[in-house]
Amino acid sequence: MIDQRIYEMFCDIGRDLYTANMISSHGGNLSVRLGDRVVIKRRGAMLGNLKPNDLIETRLEKNDSGVALASTELLAHRTIYKMTPALAIVHCHPRMAIAFSLSRDEIVPVDNEASYLLKKIPVVTEEFASGTPEMANKVATALQNYKIIMLRGHGSFATGQTLDEAFFWTSTLEEACQIAFYAKLLNEPFIEYRKMSESYNKF
Amino acid sequence: MAGWSEKILDIDLNTQTYKTYPLDMEMAHLFIGGRGLGARLLWDMVGPEVDPLSPENVLIFTNGPLTGTGYQTSNRFSVTTKSPLTGTVLDANSGGFWGMQFKKAGYDVMIIRGKSEKPIWIEIKNDAITFHDASELWGMRVFALTQKLGQNNNKRNVLCIGPAGENLSRIAAIMNDRERALARGGPGAVMGSKNLKAIVIEGKDRPEIEDRERFKFMLYETRKLLAASPLTSQALPEFGTVVMMNIVNNIGALATRNHQQTQFEGAEAISGEELTEKYLVKNSSCWACPIGCTRISRTEKVEGEGPEFESTWAFGAQCGIDNLPTIIEANTLCNDLGLDTISTGSTIACAMELSEKGYMDSDLRFGRADQLAPVIEAMAYRQDVGSDLADGSLRLATKYGHPELSMSAKGLEMPAYDPRGMQGQGLLYATSNRGGCHMRGNMLGPEVLGLPKLIDRFQVQGKSSFVILHQNSNAAIDSLVLCKFTNLGVADEYFARVLSAVTGIQYSTGDMIKVGERVWNLERLYNLREGFTRKDDTLPPRLLNEAPTDGPSQGWVVQLEPMLKEYYRGRVWDENGVPTPKKLAELGLANLM
Repeated sequence: MIDQRIYEMFCDIGRDLYTANMISSHGGNLSVRLGDRVVIKRRGAMLGNLKPNDLIETRLEKNDSGVALASTELLAHRTIYKMTPALAIVHCHPRMAIAFSLSRDEIVPVDNEASYLLKKIPVVTEEFASGTPEMANKVATALQNYKIIMLRGHGSFATGQTLDEAFFWTSTLEEACQIAFYAKLLNEPFIEYRKMSESYNKF
Repeated sequence: MAGWSEKILDIDLNTQTYKTYPLDMEMAHLFIGGRGLGARLLWDMVGPEVDPLSPENVLIFTNGPLTGTGYQTSNRFSVTTKSPLTGTVLDANSGGFWGMQFKKAGYDVMIIRGKSEKPIWIEIKNDAITFHDASELWGMRVFALTQKLGQNNNKRNVLCIGPAGENLSRIAAIMNDRERALARGGPGAVMGSKNLKAIVIEGKDRPEIEDRERFKFMLYETRKLLAASPLTSQALPEFGTVVMMNIVNNIGALATRNHQQTQFEGAEAISGEELTEKYLVKNSSCWACPIGCTRISRTEKVEGEGPEFESTWAFGAQCGIDNLPTIIEANTLCNDLGLDTISTGSTIACAMELSEKGYMDSDLRFGRADQLAPVIEAMAYRQDVGSDLADGSLRLATKYGHPELSMSAKGLEMPAYDPRGMQGQGLLYATSNRGGCHMRGNMLGPEVLGLPKLIDRFQVQGKSSFVILHQNSNAAIDSLVLCKFTNLGVADEYFARVLSAVTGIQYSTGDMIKVGERVWNLERLYNLREGFTRKDDTLPPRLLNEAPTDGPSQGWVVQLEPMLKEYYRGRVWDENGVPTPKKLAELGLANLM
């Protein structure tokens, strides 16, 4: 039986992701780690409109019947939990960040908030970008050093102790990409205001 | 290699001789330093047959790769030993200046073995180690002794015991730099049992840093983060750690009158605001610390460091006392006598309840501020009623037939946070390797302060995951060694990057937390070898069965059993709380079983 508080957190973050245009109707997924178990969105459920039976509890290490119902990205989530200290994962499709991921290997923010919080966001590439062990390993390896990363052309994976922490990194990234996009559109000389910003790409 | 001096100083008090030899660098990479390295060395040196107060017990002083580098709060050091209070593995760490000087003296580790025939003190100036007769110093209190031995914050630093340690009080602290303490679990008694009064250090070597540019960047970013956090830039500097008094009281998690209530009507009178307004002389800070949470307080009778939140709570809410000057004086007295303030206050509170209920023949009563100083003096010298209290609340309550009135876990008195109002904190106390302690992980962050984000403090399901992560993280921070207050503004990922910059070895955040997990499991193995079992992972019956009848935590007891089961599974331990071979192999500890 999944605690009502956990269910409500999934509903809140799922709805916010949808209304913020970070997922399509059935895209993205969320999970939390409960000891040796994982609670994850049911495959095909709508994050923006979750129902109580849309959450699946399964084991972290071994398969059980829960895997038949779980999100396509269960393998990635399990691998991330095994390889990092994460207790929650937000995976979604932030549009501006995806656009940026198509042309660069790392996203280095120019705005203050993301510079302060994220420094840089690596972009990793995987041909089979959904549900494969290769993708899971590549994403989890990158998340050993960063709390949020981009899978090129696919979307973001963010980790945290809670879903709202991981959502925070996600929305900060998308905001940073939007600001960088607007700055590019303005096409005016950039005035550097951040001391030691030249070191961000070494973070 | 940068980060480590690669050198152990090994002192034998039986013969008053010493030797130096290289640190096992494979061990250093696995356990980093501080608490982790201390636990690993203790595993080999002190087995279950050793009485903690016998010459066979050891004191292992350690610093870490970050100590003395100038990174924010890189002033701390550890002592590891077998606790005379709990019988568990014990690590206590302290700030101030001594740790930085210890690192500069060119050692990662200093082991103290055996027992001197007569009182001595040791002077260390890098490679020059001198043993001095301490017969005339024996009996001196901490403040006078520290001054006599030439304390000079940035040049020469004194670590010593007071009368409590000499008299083998099992709640005696080791003091350094006059008023900093390696407080919990009775390390002062171990030092006293060895007839070792003091260790004075002067160092001259500047620690190496492998990647200075990256280190400088992390230093700058950390400064920004600490400046931006209201906790580290405003609350702690302005009010000290006592800022927590009103916050914890307001949510109904302030243990009161030996945990009989969860709110204290006198909290406002002993709050950080009151301390700052009426008694604060100035702020102070440990070496390389920009936070400056240390208070210098003054009453009509004393002027000194503190009090910290836990000390103010222990002599305040826990004893039902709302007289702040008396609490400040009790804190200063404990520092001068070399006593752990949390255990001292909570043991007095236990005696007050025993006496009020007629189980113990004494006039100690809740709310009697006038009784604090006399009973503390009596505890340090084992006089009168103090002889019953000098070894902590569990031995006291057991002597009078009511061990359930000791508010301790594994025999170590718990701090201020009543876990009936913070479920995760209850699991944390119950599973802590050194007993009831808030420094082996603290759920204050996620359950109260919203760090990194707020979680429901009454939620049970999933809480074990947070406890495990925070325990592992704190074990890693204790191995670096840094002050945990840095972690209020700076995330673990920064510490991993600083460690990488200093040592030149690439540590991811996950690598660092894995070190913490390794340390935690090793400490668990140590306690299991000492005979601790699943039944010791528990709390006083009051917290499991007696719900507060009013206040914000009304109706709640700690839901320990479901959290504990989930905790064991999450740690990949068996149902008896024993680490599985699979987990030990993963952590590189399989050879210890």
